Amino acid sequence: MANDAETGPGLTFPQDTFAKLTPRPYLLAHLKHKTPVRPNGRQQNEFRQPTINTGSLTHSNGSAVVRVGDTAVVCGVRGEILLASDIPHPPSDDLEEQDLVEELGLVVPNLELSTGCSPAHIPGNPPTSLAQSLSYRISAVLHDSHCINPDDLRINYTEPKTEDDLPDEPPKEVTKAYWTLYIDILCLALDGNAFDAALLAVTAALRDTTLPKAWWDPDRESILCSPVVSDSRSLRLSTMPVASSFAVFSTASHLKKREEAQSWILADADGFEEELCDETLTVVLNSGPSTGSGTTSILKIEKTGGTYIGKDVTDLCVRQASKRTSDIKTALGNR
Amino acid sequence: MGPDVVNHPLSRADGSTVLSNGLYTVIAGVNGPIEVQRRDELPEEAAIEVNVRPASGVGGICERWMETVLQSALKSIMLVHMFPRTLIQITMQITKEPSIKLRRSLYDFALMPTLFNAAITCLVDGGLPLATTSTAALAIISPDDQVVLDPQEKEIASCKSIHAMAFSANGDQILTQSSGDLNHEDWGKVADMLKQACIAAIGPAGEDTAMSNGVVQPEPWLRQHLEDEAKSAVRGKVKIEAQGRSREIRSSSAANSKDENQPDSAT
Repeated sequence: MANDAETGPGLTFPQDTFAKLTPRPYLLAHLKHKTPVRPNGRQQNEFRQPTINTGSLTHSNGSAVVRVGDTAVVCGVRGEILLASDIPHPPSDDLEEQDLVEELGLVVPNLELSTGCSPAHIPGNPPTSLAQSLSYRISAVLHDSHCINPDDLRINYTEPKTEDDLPDEPPKEVTKAYWTLYIDILCLALDGNAFDAALLAVTAALRDTTLPKAWWDPDRESILCSPVVSDSRSLRLSTMPVASSFAVFSTASHLKKREEAQSWILADADGFEEELCDETLTVVLNSGPSTGSGTTSILKIEKTGGTYIGKDVTDLCVRQASKRTSDIKTALGNR
Repeated sequence: MGPDVVNHPLSRADGSTVLSNGLYTVIAGVNGPIEVQRRDELPEEAAIEVNVRPASGVGGICERWMETVLQSALKSIMLVHMFPRTLIQITMQITKEPSIKLRRSLYDFALMPTLFNAAITCLVDGGLPLATTSTAALAIISPDDQVVLDPQEKEIASCKSIHAMAFSANGDQILTQSSGDLNHEDWGKVADMLKQACIAAIGPAGEDTAMSNGVVQPEPWLRQHLEDEAKSAVRGKVKIEAQGRSREIRSSSAANSKDENQPDSAT
């Protein structure tokens, strides 16, 4: 121990201490390195590979557990019946067919973060504004992508012919009830980028959803469901929205000149990086359900905070997002 | 055509504006820097709180989302480091909304630029320091692939995609919210047009209506508004100073008369 007394306490820290004490310089040092690599060992544009499991929850109509790095999300879809006679304001006739799901509120996503998924989210607390805005963004994606076909949710009844009907008139089909899908998303562990993981869990769960055969019974005047599994049919998603988020780590400050600022785009930021990044970009791409290339269109580009992401950077991110989207589609299709 | 802005409608808020364009009317108020709750306190900068109140009812998840988006956008242009451990609270109430029913996401996206502009003007009115002037604008792509800036209600209802963006005076993109069925090229086109519109609204410094490529630029409404505000502030200041001076004169004359009658207590 005499040797220690001579040299004094060491002036070097282990990495973890450096990261805890001065997170910003720690990340900056990694990114400024000759061969820049993020503290989590990923490249700047490298996403975490998701692990997807479906059908884990037996009591729901569809479910998925998605794990992206240390972020774990479980999603369950539950179908309930909404009687057409219970709808207070029936949709007007000029309503576009594809807007019916939104108008009647047939898809209700809710995201829960208060599960103790990270130190910032204490169990039992009311939903934070982060949780609420995530719920909103997921419902907006589901509605704007029109991925759920309203015809899949209708429970129709063909009225028998009465004597008043003209003989060659086709039988009248009326919608007696709708399926309402309650999508509950629980975040079990949160290590950044909750939105991408949650949306992936929702799409995986919806693809897994099967609804029992239901029909209107005119004698009982109610809806009956068949218990036979082979009668049930699965939900067909007409499109598949996939989100890719990017965060920007920047040294820009109002106390410095604009030219001196340096910025890095980090794909799929983890919790540590997310805390240090003010600027985020989310690109949601909408593509056909098949694994093939198909046509991919941009559904949403959302950017806020900071000033680094302009048109060029967005272009770059959209390209990375389309690569990511095909990866995700393969991961979903392979199951 | 820029929106109509009324300055300082609320007498008790530090800064306030009523901003109305064809679609929405928003009344915005800012208080700050004020005392902050321990839980929200930031050691090196001011915390920003944005509250959005809908036209009817209480706010829901959609308002929370708008608040978080606006909060982070405003944080990047406000000089928050000047007021560490304080709070800047911005409250916005929607008082008029489009008369026809819009789909939820169209309604929200169309509202975003109005809220952003209302927030900026009320921050200026409250004398809170900003790093840059910035403004937001709305555009849609119509079903026949035309870009429409500042669309009408009906155009929004039938649009293919909707875009709300905010730019600063030097062309930095502060906020982007685009939604709908769009492709890469169209998005770039819309971004360019909105950037031009926003910069035109801020206006060139010390120039009259600029002409570029023979196209008349839209009037720089934000610049005009800010200039008017500055002028009225200066006029107000002159008035106050003038009043102060007359009061001084009056008080000094009163003191003089006092002097004559009795010795000044101070001396």
